This record gives sequence, C-alpha cells and structure tokens, in this order.
Amino acid sequence: MGAEDVRRQSLNVYRIKLLGAHVHAVDSGTATLKDALNEALRDWVTNVDNTYYIIGSVTGPHPYPMIVRDFNSVVGQELISQSKEAFNAMPDAIVACVGGGSNAMGAFYPFIDIPETRLIGVEAGGNGLATGEHAAPLNDGTPGVLHGARSYLMQSETGQVKDTKSVSAGLDYPGVGPEHSWLKDIGRAEYYAVNDQEALDAFHEVTELEGIMPALETAHAFAYLKNIQQEFTKEQNIIINVSGRGDKDINTVAEIDGIEF
Amino acid sequence: MNRIDKKLAQLKDQNKKALVAYLVAGDPDLDTTHELMHSFVKSGVNIIELGIPFTDPIAEGPIIQKAHDRALANNTSFTDALKIVKHFRETDNETPVILMGYLNTFVYFIKEVNESNEIGVDGVLVVDIPGELKLENYGLTNKDIKTISLISPTTSQDRIKSICSNSSGFIYYVTLKGVTGSAELDTSDVNTNIKKIKEHTDLPILAGFGIKTVEDVKNLASVSDGVVIGSSIVQMINDASDSKEFARIETYLNEIRDALV
Repeated sequence: MGAEDVRRQSLNVYRIKLLGAHVHAVDSGTATLKDALNEALRDWVTNVDNTYYIIGSVTGPHPYPMIVRDFNSVVGQELISQSKEAFNAMPDAIVACVGGGSNAMGAFYPFIDIPETRLIGVEAGGNGLATGEHAAPLNDGTPGVLHGARSYLMQSETGQVKDTKSVSAGLDYPGVGPEHSWLKDIGRAEYYAVNDQEALDAFHEVTELEGIMPALETAHAFAYLKNIQQEFTKEQNIIINVSGRGDKDINTVAEIDGIEF
Repeated sequence: MNRIDKKLAQLKDQNKKALVAYLVAGDPDLDTTHELMHSFVKSGVNIIELGIPFTDPIAEGPIIQKAHDRALANNTSFTDALKIVKHFRETDNETPVILMGYLNTFVYFIKEVNESNEIGVDGVLVVDIPGELKLENYGLTNKDIKTISLISPTTSQDRIKSICSNSSGFIYYVTLKGVTGSAELDTSDVNTNIKKIKEHTDLPILAGFGIKTVEDVKNLASVSDGVVIGSSIVQMINDASDSKEFARIETYLNEIRDALV
C-alpha cells in the first residue's frame, strides 16, 4: 500500500494486520495506489514461483480485469433479483463511484444488456476537473497504457502519467479499468465527476440523515445524485451502490473538519 | 542494412560476443548522456540502449527507477532522447542505437518513433508490450526500425514462438526472475532456456538483467551471443553525476569487453 494511503487508511491497515497479514508501505512516486501496484508487480516477477498476484480492482493486465469483474458481478446479479422483488421492474439507474472501477463494474456488468437501466459512474473530481488536480481519467484523460492495460489515462503532453488528487484513497488512481473505457466509448455507461468538497458534504449528509456512513469513495456516488435528481420522477428507482463503509475514513474527515482525538 | 543486423553479423564473423550498454536519456542531463554514449563506444560497447524515462518503469529495480526519476526531474521527454541520438550521429554513424522504454510513451509518440530511423535510431525495445501483440498494431510500420523483445525464464513455449515471430534485430533474454539490477542471477538455466528459444528463431540472443561482474559476463557469454549491462553503469553515472568524472565507467566497460572475447 502506498505510504500516503497507509496513513490515510490507518484503520483499514490495522484491520488487515489483525487478520494476520503484513502491509508493506511504498514510498516511491506519489506513495498511493499507482505506486503500490508498481511495487506489487515488481515483487511478483521476482517471486513468481511462490507468489500469486491478486488485485481488488478491474485494472492491470489481462485477465485480471475480467477476473475481478466476474467475481464482483454477484453485486449486479443480486441487484437484478432484488429489483424484481422490490420494484417488479429493473432499476431506472445505477450510480456507482469509479476509481479503478471494480464496484461499478460489478454492479454494471449484468445490466449491460438491460437498456432501460442507466449506468452512471462517478469519478473523483479532486479540486475540480478544471484545475487538472483530480483522478478522473474518463472525464479528462486520453487513451494510454498503464499496468498492462490500455484505457483512459491521466497523462501529460509528453506521455508521462500524471499525479492524481482525491480525498478518497480508493479513487486516487490515474487509470481506470479498460472495460469502463469501452462502456464509455460505446455509450452504454455515462461517467461524471464530483469534487472533494461535494463528496465530503455527501458523506456528512448521508451519515446524518440515513445513519449510513459511506466510504469517501461511495460518497462520490451519493454526491452526484443531487445533479441528476431532476431527470427522474418520484416513481422511478435509482440504486446507489454503497461500495464501502466510511469508518475507515473517519480520521481523514475529522482532520479536514479540524477535530483532534 | 540496419546497423543492428550489420554489427551483430560482423561480430559473429569475428567470433566475438556483443556488448550492449544501457543508460537513461537525460540522466543526469542531455549533454552528459551524449558524451557517455561516445565514451561507451570508445570502451568497447557495440550497441547502445538509450532508456526513455517513464513515470512508472515497472520492470526496473531501484537503481534504474531513480535514474528515470532524475531524468524526469529535468523534464527529459521522448523528443529530447531523439535529439541526443541526432547529436550522437553527427560523429558516429556506425554504432547501433536502440530506444528502450515503456509502451505508453512509444504509443504517445508513435509518429516520431516511426520516423526515428531518419535521425539514426535502429531499433526499439518496449518492455511492457504483451508477447501476443506487435508494435505494428500500434502504428510502427517502418521495417527499418527493429523491434527487440524480451523473453524471460518463465515465458511459455507458445509465447516464445509468438514473441520470436514478432521480433527483429535480436532477442533479449532476461536472465533472472525479477527486475533490472536484481542480485539473484542464476546462470544454470540460461543455457537450457536459450536453446529453447533458438528452436524458434535465427536471431542472435543477448542476455541481460542482473549482470554485474566479469564472472557473470564470462558465464553468460559462453551460452549467448552477447550481454546487456544496465544497472551497474547507471549506478556509476549516479555516483559521478556531480563530478562528471566517468573514468570508472570506462575502466569497468573495458574489463567487461576483455572478459567477453
């Protein structure tokens, strides 16, 4: 894990350690997800005889995006069966945050052939798309190759991978799963971005009003809901994929709010 | 005739092994890279591999990673590397020059890559292109530019076949499981593996990754058509980046050259 993420996600790191695993902090580059992936791949090629490489997102070399998509698609299958029970219809939209894009891909994949359901992915807008300081390659990137996959990528005018900025560790990645790029290009899914402040506001609002504390990643999906509510009637059903719990982000949010423990 | 083919044929006729040396363009600056290239040739280097700096060089160990970082800190771009080659060709029209780097920068500058033989580039080595793909698929259609590929100890027989059919110039055999500059050089399997590759190609096979000592060179030269030295030189470049006293590199390369014959 990137050293910066070890700091930002210290509760998750402790939880992983409690389960008996070791967590290595990576200091190279921006010390976030991209750099952790570089180091994991370097370690893997060195210890390939006794090591299995596994990744939690739909990025990286083939067949990893497919493997993670297929495993995560239990979410979308469950949504189909629950929608039948709850709405007696398919949902009108599914909204999910997209960093590498695993939770979104898991939710979207079984719906690709269900055209009445809009698929909406929300990327990390960081300080705002216009500032260039964000992690939204589908909104503001160009095709490139990173970690063995060709996909939309945040890159400079000299073909170098750009640094990313997001309050959310899980979305802080300059690339995105290649199948999301495909869904964007064929027009099956829509991708937007919300900035850090909008996500933080949504984190507070959902926690206060619903008693559900979403992860900062998930808070991006909630935040975007406000932007599209006019497009739906009260009778329509929108599903937010609550991809993670916000307990892990309490330190980050408290720090921003100026609260010390 | 392409300079790589010509040089390797000459060496074969003279019953000599090839010495390939690697350095990163712009480490520590463009002028020094240019001077070092001439100094390499004086010290018996037959082919120069010019590294194109990239933000995420996943096949590199710490020594070469840092060299990429130093070159990027000077904003060295792909076009700067081409300027170095052009400058080098003003006084050396014989030594083959290969551009080595990562797919993203090569795809980003594919037009420039495709025309680079005009300024004196002889081949390209893209570290992270999947074995099943060809640079031709990305727009490198100029047959005067050789496409050198890596084959590792874990490459399957099927893949070796497909990589060989997509390659020209020579095959770069990776002598270890790991990244550049690793310590775990094991020459015992090299002979067997190189024989397997020879079943699929008539191209010369050069060995690289983790080769440091005169002893390493002697062992590998007996089973391959030549060796590639990278990290050891890059470390010496780093050590002398302020003083610009590179005599130690010449001494080292001379020792390696003597061990190769």
